[in-house]
Amino acid sequence: MNNIIKIDKVSKSYGSLKAVNNLSFLVKEGEFFSFLGINGAGKSTTINMICGELSKDFGSIEVCGEEVDGNNTSLKEKIGVVFQDSLLDKSLSVYDNLKIKASLYNITGKDFLDRYEELSKLFNLKEIEKQPISKLSGGQRRRVDIARAIIHNPSILILDEPTTGLDPGTRKSIWKVLNNLRKEKNLTIFLTTHYMEEAADSDYIVILDKGTTIAEGTPLELKNKYASDTVYIYNVDEENIKKLDKSYKKVRDGFKIIVKDLKEATDLIIKNKDLFKDYEVIKGKMDDVFLNATGYELEDE
Amino acid sequence: MNKLISLTKRNIKVYFSDKKMFFTSLITPIILLVLYVTFLSGVFKDSFINAFPEGFKYTDKLLNSLVGGQLISSLLAVSCITVAFTSNLLMVQDKAEKTIKDINITPISKFTIGLSYFVSTFISTFIVNFTVTIVCFIYAHFFGTYMNINDMLNIVLDLLLLTLFGTSLSSVINFNLSTQGQVSAVGTIISAGYGFICGAYMPISSFGKGLQKVISFLPGTYGTSLLRNHALSSSFREMRNQHLPEELIDGFKKAFDCKIKLLNNYVSINSMYLIVTGFTLLFIVIFIFMNKHKKRS
Ligand SMILES: Nc1ncnc2c1ncn2[C@@H]1O[C@H](COP(=O)(O)OP(=O)(O)OP(=O)(O)O)[C@@H](O)[C@H]1O
Ligand SMILES: [Mg+2]
Repeated sequence: MNNIIKIDKVSKSYGSLKAVNNLSFLVKEGEFFSFLGINGAGKSTTINMICGELSKDFGSIEVCGEEVDGNNTSLKEKIGVVFQDSLLDKSLSVYDNLKIKASLYNITGKDFLDRYEELSKLFNLKEIEKQPISKLSGGQRRRVDIARAIIHNPSILILDEPTTGLDPGTRKSIWKVLNNLRKEKNLTIFLTTHYMEEAADSDYIVILDKGTTIAEGTPLELKNKYASDTVYIYNVDEENIKKLDKSYKKVRDGFKIIVKDLKEATDLIIKNKDLFKDYEVIKGKMDDVFLNATGYELEDE
Repeated sequence: MNKLISLTKRNIKVYFSDKKMFFTSLITPIILLVLYVTFLSGVFKDSFINAFPEGFKYTDKLLNSLVGGQLISSLLAVSCITVAFTSNLLMVQDKAEKTIKDINITPISKFTIGLSYFVSTFISTFIVNFTVTIVCFIYAHFFGTYMNINDMLNIVLDLLLLTLFGTSLSSVINFNLSTQGQVSAVGTIISAGYGFICGAYMPISSFGKGLQKVISFLPGTYGTSLLRNHALSSSFREMRNQHLPEELIDGFKKAFDCKIKLLNNYVSINSMYLIVTGFTLLFIVIFIFMNKHKKRS
């Protein structure tokens, strides 16, 4: 697979604040790529540089083999962006907004109507098409944002927190559409999100802190490295748990033992068959990866 | 070209559908209209009557045509500039609300974007002012006027010129603004100040000498004066027909800013056209230059 986005030693400062600091990473064609980091880590800043809206101070940003400088018209045809804040014209209707943006990609007349019909079906726009953006609910607006971002059939779709604030049903339906697009059109997805379960499905993850990569890898690699597995054991005496010689915590009806990985869990259970009557093993989650990688203490549940 | 047209259409649509923006731009013309109806027209009438020679039998029609001409020219002089400024503020608002980002990521050149703001400001301003003009003509028709087609066409031509002037001036001034605060500041200053400076509330000729001098260096003043000349010339023609002395008519012209002194000489109508056109072209050149040399943040 080709590298479709190449970020090489990129830096960007706002005054004395280094928003992005010597950042490097690669995104492969057709990949579902997640770009994670706490608030203010520099995600949106990086996205603004990738789509040419913001200039970089140092380094190089290549998209589809072309260095981004803000004027690459051919590149702009290939990138679709859902910005963190919806940027449509609030006083204009859904239909007008899409029509205007389509025309800026030279999609007009019948081409537009056909495309609009497709998107309208995909995102259920029919019943809201005449409403001005300002009157839409958050979820409705996000649907329009995404329709807008893919109106020109881009090969890279950049999503800056596309589902923040949406109910689980809406989130699910949005992801269904996006996943279909990935399968059908080999769309590369570049996602920023604070919902770790969304990132868990991605092919590759980069975690950012203070403008630099602090962890990267596939979800599995990251889980192995940053998330420990947990064994819960119920209805036993604390005396017996102490004998296991592992650090543990008391939870309701039982105890929680942190193990490095599944192998350690299996060994532990096999060695103490008699003790482990009522137990469960929970695999580390992306949440743990994120919290551990960004240096947050794991809270007790 | 298609992109320019659709972006221009978008700008115009946003301007007319953004109620806040649209109504702020009409505030000054409306205030002026209210002032005329309640107060100013009486003041002007009195001053006209006092200026007529002893024993001259003036008709209501003559009076009304003078007051009407004064109103039309004031209204248009003000709204050409204020409406241009406020509709051009869309360019700033797009930056402040970041809407421009969603346009910048499309394959359209920065230059086309700049041009679309210019064209849309011109069109929006012209639509508003042309409507105002038509209403004024209808008003004049019922209240009494001696205007013929020629006078009207001259007014429409002034309107075009002044709209273009306002568009180019506001494009240059607004170009580097980028926040909502600046939008309101510029909007307020222009709406509050311009009516005064162009002599809409009180003729420039009644200001102090120093202020008159300063105002005579502002190119917009000559646009106002063109409008005054063309809105009042039919009344002056009628005064001549009624055998009023030429000195009196000349006094009227000076008193109502049809004649303006620049460096101690009265400026001819042709020079007024030249000044306004020249500055418009200058601003357009500056605007193009700024667009070409714009840097990304
Ligand atoms: N236009 C700007 N001017 C000055 N500082 C800025 C600007 N935009 C962003 N910053 C700063 O740069 C840093 C990175 O911001 P950025 O928006 O990239 O973060 P983010 O990772 O997208 O955060 P979030 O998850 O909250 O969206 C922050 O400290 C922010 O305050
Ligand atoms: Mg962000």
